Amino acid sequence: MVEGQIIQLPLVLLLAALLLLALLSLLAVKVLKSAFVGKQTAQKEPDWSVPVVDADAEGTSLFHRWDVRFKLVALLGFAFLVVATRSPEAAMIALLLSFSTVLVAQQPVYRSLKRLLAMSGFLGMFLLVMPLTVVTHPEDILLVFSGLEFLPFNLRGLQLALAIVGKACAVALLMEPLLATASLARTVEGLTRLGVPEKVAQMILLAHRYIFVFLEEARRMKTGMQVRGFKPRTSTETLQVMGNFLGMLFVRSFERTHRVYAAMQSRGYRGRFPAPFYFKVTAGDWLHAGVWLLLGIGLLVFDRLGAA
Amino acid sequence: MHDLQRLAPIDFDGPAQFEIRNLQYRYPNGQQALRGVDLSVAAGDRIALLGQNGSGKSTLVKHLNGLLPVQQGALLYQGQPLVGEPLQRARLEIGLLFQDPDDQLFCSTLYDDVSFGPLNQGVSLAGMEPLVRQALAAVGLEELLYKASHHLSFGQKKRAALACLLAMKPQVLILDEPTANLDPGQENILVELLRNYTGTLICITHDLLFAYELCQRAVVLDQGQVHHDYSMAELVADPPSMREHGLDFSFRLAGLANHKLPPQQAAVAAPEAQLVDAVAAAETTAVVELADYSYRYADGTQALNGITFALRAGESVAIVGENGAGKTTLLNCLMGIYSGVGTHLFAGHLLGKQQRRLLWRKVGMVFQDPADQLFCASCAEEVAFGPRQLGLPKDEVIRRVDAALERVRLGGYQDRVPLHLSGGERKRLAIATVLSMDPELLILDEPTAGLDPQGEELLLEILRQLPQTRILVTHDPFLVAELTQRTLVLHRGKVLQSYSTAEFLADQNQQSLNLLALSYKSDCSREILELQHRHEHIHQHEHFHEHLHRHGELVHSHPHQHEHEHEHVFTHSHVADSTEHCHSPRGRFHEHPHPDHEEQEHSHEHED
Repeated sequence: MVEGQIIQLPLVLLLAALLLLALLSLLAVKVLKSAFVGKQTAQKEPDWSVPVVDADAEGTSLFHRWDVRFKLVALLGFAFLVVATRSPEAAMIALLLSFSTVLVAQQPVYRSLKRLLAMSGFLGMFLLVMPLTVVTHPEDILLVFSGLEFLPFNLRGLQLALAIVGKACAVALLMEPLLATASLARTVEGLTRLGVPEKVAQMILLAHRYIFVFLEEARRMKTGMQVRGFKPRTSTETLQVMGNFLGMLFVRSFERTHRVYAAMQSRGYRGRFPAPFYFKVTAGDWLHAGVWLLLGIGLLVFDRLGAA
Repeated sequence: MHDLQRLAPIDFDGPAQFEIRNLQYRYPNGQQALRGVDLSVAAGDRIALLGQNGSGKSTLVKHLNGLLPVQQGALLYQGQPLVGEPLQRARLEIGLLFQDPDDQLFCSTLYDDVSFGPLNQGVSLAGMEPLVRQALAAVGLEELLYKASHHLSFGQKKRAALACLLAMKPQVLILDEPTANLDPGQENILVELLRNYTGTLICITHDLLFAYELCQRAVVLDQGQVHHDYSMAELVADPPSMREHGLDFSFRLAGLANHKLPPQQAAVAAPEAQLVDAVAAAETTAVVELADYSYRYADGTQALNGITFALRAGESVAIVGENGAGKTTLLNCLMGIYSGVGTHLFAGHLLGKQQRRLLWRKVGMVFQDPADQLFCASCAEEVAFGPRQLGLPKDEVIRRVDAALERVRLGGYQDRVPLHLSGGERKRLAIATVLSMDPELLILDEPTAGLDPQGEELLLEILRQLPQTRILVTHDPFLVAELTQRTLVLHRGKVLQSYSTAEFLADQNQQSLNLLALSYKSDCSREILELQHRHEHIHQHEHFHEHLHRHGELVHSHPHQHEHEHEHVFTHSHVADSTEHCHSPRGRFHEHPHPDHEEQEHSHEHED
C-alpha cells in the first residue's frame, strides 16, 4: 500500500461533521418539501387555452424561442463537454452555469431541486464511499480519525466524488431547459429532423402518452387484489399471483396497442405522425447554439489547463 | 321467426353510400364473426346497429372503414371497394369513435390529437388552429386546447375523442357505445352534439333509449347476420322481437312507470319515508359511518370535503353525482384504501390504521370494469382467491366457490377461463369473487355498465336477491330506483342531498338536479310506452307470413303477403282518445293461428 500524507484528527470532529451534514440534509429536504406542498395547495387550474410549454408561446425566455433542433444539439453537446471535464472546479462552474440556465429559462426552481433530491441518495453514496475506497497515491492527503485508523479518509477521493456529483447535477439541471421549454411532440419532431428514426420518435411519443394509462390500469388491478385481501409475501403463492397480475397487464396492454393502432389508421395514419408545427431557423438560433458550444469548449480547456 | 327480406325503412334514390353484399368474416382463431351480411346504407341514414355481445356489430363497423379486409362478399363505399387509394380516402371521410377514449387520444395534447386527422387530410398548418379550436368549441373543451389527454376526466376524454372526428368533417360517423360510463350531464351534451350532425350516423349501442333519440333505422345483428332492418319505432314497439335478440329493455320502462311519482305524491311520501328511516335508524347500528370526513390527494386536489353519512344494516344506498364528484374516492375511503381526515366507524368501532387494513374482510367491492379484478387462470381460482386470503379450510373454499358461482348463474363455469367469457359473464364472475368472501357490506360501482339489456336484466335479478347491506354507485336512475331506498347526491366532494330514493326520483322528474337529469330519456320512455301499446282488435289487415299453403295441386311453404280479417294482438296507436287505431302502413311479418286458412286456395305470384 502506498502511504500518503496523514493528518490526525479527533473522532469528535468526524461525529460533529456527520451530525452537521445530517442536519443540513434534513433541513434541505424539509424546506423543499414545504415549498413543494405550498406550491401544490396554492395551485390553480392553469389556462390550458394557451400553449404553456410551446415554442410559439408568448414566453419571453431565450430557450422557449430557440429552435428545438439547435437547442438539442447545443445543450446535449454542452452536456457531453461537461461530462468530459475532470476537476471539481470545472464541475462547479458547470453546475453554476446550469443553475443560471434554469433561471433564464423561467423554469420552476423547486422542480429542478426536486429532481436533484431524487438523485441525492445515489450521489450521496459517491461522497461517502469514494474517499474511503479510492486507491491512495503518494501525494494524497489522508484524514485519520483517532480510533478509526483502519479507515483513512482520502481527500482526493472526496474531490473525485465532488466532480462526479457536480457534473451529474449540472447535466440533470440542463434537462429542464432542454425538455420543458417546448412540447414533447415538438422536441421529438426535432429529434426526427436530426436523424433519429421516425419509428423511435413515435415510440417515445406513444410511450409517454400510454405510460399513464398503464400505470392507472396497474393501480386499479392492484386495488382489486388488495380489496380481496392480497398482501405480497415471500411465498410461491405471491409469485404466482404476481405472475398472473403481470400477465393480465400484458394482455390488456397488448389488446390496447391493437385498438390504438386501429384508431390511428382510421384517422388516416400511413406510417408517420404529421407534425403540426413549422421550424424556422434564425441567426439567433445559430448564435445561441454557438455560445453554448463555445462555453462547453471553454470549460474543457479550463479544466485541462487547470489540471496541467 | 324473422323477416330477412325486408327492405330498409328509408327509401332512397341513387347509389347507396355503403353497399354490403354477402359479407363474411372469420377471425384467425376460427371464429366466424360475419355470416353473409347484406346491408345498404344511404347518405344521411341514422342507423342503430344493435345485437347481443358477440353478434358481429364491431366486426361489421371495422369493415366499414377498412380496418378489417373483406374476406368474402362485397363492400362498396360510394361505389368503390375499400382497397388502395379509395380505402385511404374513405378513412379520412369516415369517423370511428371508439368505446374507450384512451384508445383514440394518442397524442401529447388535445391540440395534437385534434389536428392529427386534418393534417392527414392535407389541411395546411395555417388553417389548423381555427379548425382545432372550432372542433373543441363544439364539444365545450376549447379552454383545454393544450391540456394533456391523460389529465382529462372520462367525460372530457369522450368529448375530445368526438372533437378529433368532427375536425375531419366526416361524411359518416360511426360510434361504438358512445354513452358508456358517461354521467347524465355529459350524455346530454353528447346527444345535443349528435342531434345536430347532418352526415350518416351509425351507432353501436346497448342503450336503446339513446338509440331511439338519435336514430331512425334499427339494424339488428344476430350471429353475424342481419336479422331485422326496421325503423327504430317499429323495433321498440315490438318487445317479443327485441327479447329474441336480448334487446328487450321494457323492464326499464315498466320500472320507470312504477317509480315515477308525481312531485306532490313524492313530497307527501317523503316525510313518511324519513320517519320510517328515523325509526329504523334508531333500532339498528350503523354498519358504516362517516362524520366530517375529508380527503385530499397528494397533488392538493380536495376530493372529499366534510362528508357525513351513515349506513344501517340491511339498507341500500345509492351514491350519485357527475364524473369527478368524488364517488370513487369515497368508495376507496370506505374500503380503507385511502385514509382521510375525520371520523370513520365500522360497526360502531372507530377505525385506526390497523383496522382499516382489515376492512377487506368485511367490505366487498365490485369494480366498474371487471377486468380490474379478474386475473386468475380459471373461474374457480378467481372466486377462491378471496376465501383463500381469509385463511378458510380447503373444503369451505370449494363450498363457497360453488355457492357463489351458482348464485350468479355461472354454475359449471369452474374451469372456464375468465378472459374468454362474455362481458355479462365477466361481470357476474366479478360479483361471485366478492360474494364468496361473504361480506357484510357490498359496494357496487356501475354494475350494469356495458351490458346488453338481457345481461342487465339478469344481473338486476341477481342483485335484488342479495341480502347484504349495499352501496350502489351509478349514473342510472333506473338502477337507483330498483335497488336502493336512500340516495346520496355528491357534488364536488360534498354531500349535496341525502334523502329517500323516492325524493331523488321526484327531483329527477322535475329536473331540479340539472347535472343528473336525462330529460330526453324520460321523453323517449313515454313515447316508447305509447308505441308498445297493444291489445286485441278485429279488423281487416294485410300481413306477411309463412305457412304451408295450396295452389291447386301444389302444396308448399314460403313467406307471402295477403289480407285477413280476424282477431289479433297487435302493437298500434290510437288517434287521440278515440277507439280508432292505426297500424304501421308497412306489412308486418308475424305469426298467429289462421283456422282453415292453410286449406284455402292461394293465388299469388311466385318468383322462378
